[in-house]
Amino acid sequence: MTSHNLFASRPLRVTALGVVVAAALTLTGCNSGGDPNGGGTTSPTSTSTESATPSATATPTPTAVYKQADATGRAQNVPVPVLPEVAKTETKEGLEAFARYWYSTLSYAYETGDTKPMEAVSGPACTSCAKVKTEVTEWHAEGRWLAGGKLHVEGVHSDFVASGPAEYQVVVQVYQETIDYYLADSTLKGTLPRKPAVGDLVVAVFDSAGWKASTVEHLVK
Amino acid sequence: MGLPKDPFKYRSKHVCRTDPVLDGSNCSGPDVECTAGENGRAVNWYRSLKALDAYSFFAGPTCIYDEKPVDVLEQIAADIQRQFESLPVNAGSVVAQPSPHTLRGAETNFYADAAEQQFDVTMFGQKVHVVATPAQYTWTYGDGTVLGPQPSMGGPLPQERWGEKTRTSHAYATTGDFQIVLTTSFQGTYSVNSGPPLPIPGQGQFSAPPQTISVWRSITRNYADDCNQNPQGQGCPGVPSVP
Repeated sequence: MTSHNLFASRPLRVTALGVVVAAALTLTGCNSGGDPNGGGTTSPTSTSTESATPSATATPTPTAVYKQADATGRAQNVPVPVLPEVAKTETKEGLEAFARYWYSTLSYAYETGDTKPMEAVSGPACTSCAKVKTEVTEWHAEGRWLAGGKLHVEGVHSDFVASGPAEYQVVVQVYQETIDYYLADSTLKGTLPRKPAVGDLVVAVFDSAGWKASTVEHLVK
Repeated sequence: MGLPKDPFKYRSKHVCRTDPVLDGSNCSGPDVECTAGENGRAVNWYRSLKALDAYSFFAGPTCIYDEKPVDVLEQIAADIQRQFESLPVNAGSVVAQPSPHTLRGAETNFYADAAEQQFDVTMFGQKVHVVATPAQYTWTYGDGTVLGPQPSMGGPLPQERWGEKTRTSHAYATTGDFQIVLTTSFQGTYSVNSGPPLPIPGQGQFSAPPQTISVWRSITRNYADDCNQNPQGQGCPGVPSVP
């Protein structure tokens, strides 16, 4: 009869991860499909033209300077997050370091569209992770890109009390920078402004391969 | 418990806003944009997860009308629980099915009809808006049985299902009149001068006026004849009932 008591036995109610609100901005109006003329402006993977120098390498420039995404194009040479040594241990410090690492892989996904580092440390049951993958991949496809959207962890804490076999919870206070959505023709499709930091609950499981996030959700409020 | 607990803790800070006309900090005096009263000062709100000490901006600015805005907010925070418990919060009404009479040994369905309520009060010279939300319910059935506090307010049953056991139903073992009291625990938030809603730390308990239910017994007698064949039979029109 009443639905509000479904969560009665849970200390904290959680909702789906909000960073996926990128879904709110639809992709209508962009030219998908194999337009032979389209997307020729800033694609870093475009094939070399007739003016290509014979000595040039096809891979990124030798001076791999990091450049964040802006109105002119996507981020370049974004450093891949590195898992710290301590984050490989089944300890409180290890879990907290892992949680920070997980958000750096999420941040990397927003910046680059590459969700592989995040997937590598996320369990198959992490539905919000899967949602992020879909959204981020979509928004980095066909010449589109995101600017901003990096995640900043303000603090992490775990009581390191097992909630299941080798399963622990860690809370994370985190905010995401303003996200600008650019279409392939460089028009600004929309902006998702920065919001105050939120509290997330990460449930992580440790096995021989290390930590994996099995759930990432917002704490309510 | 009934509703999710706020995972954050909050803090305010007096902030100086630049006067757009005079070009300079006005923090030494009243805030130019806080003119709804005397001595307006602006504060910003910061919050941190309770497990951390990582306060970051959350809301603001909010105008506080006092020379020492943060002190006033701390006084309000210290007094809000007492204020909350003294508000005329309506615990909700009690509905019994069937009522006002029910039968001994039968499941009588009780449910509460309680709703969110809002109040405006003045505390330490500031306008405080309180929202009270029902969270838990305690049923005192009047025969010594108490159910709760538990999160279900129960709900109505269609008449053809009266007598079914529900989460909040009760079967009286004896006949008589019983006083049912519903006590509803409310969770609350408060906001000062239209600032962000902040959690009131404890719940407030409010009781509804007692409601009386009469519990009767039923007796089944079987007869071989109908009233046409035997007009003097028990239960036939005009025949006094046997005690």
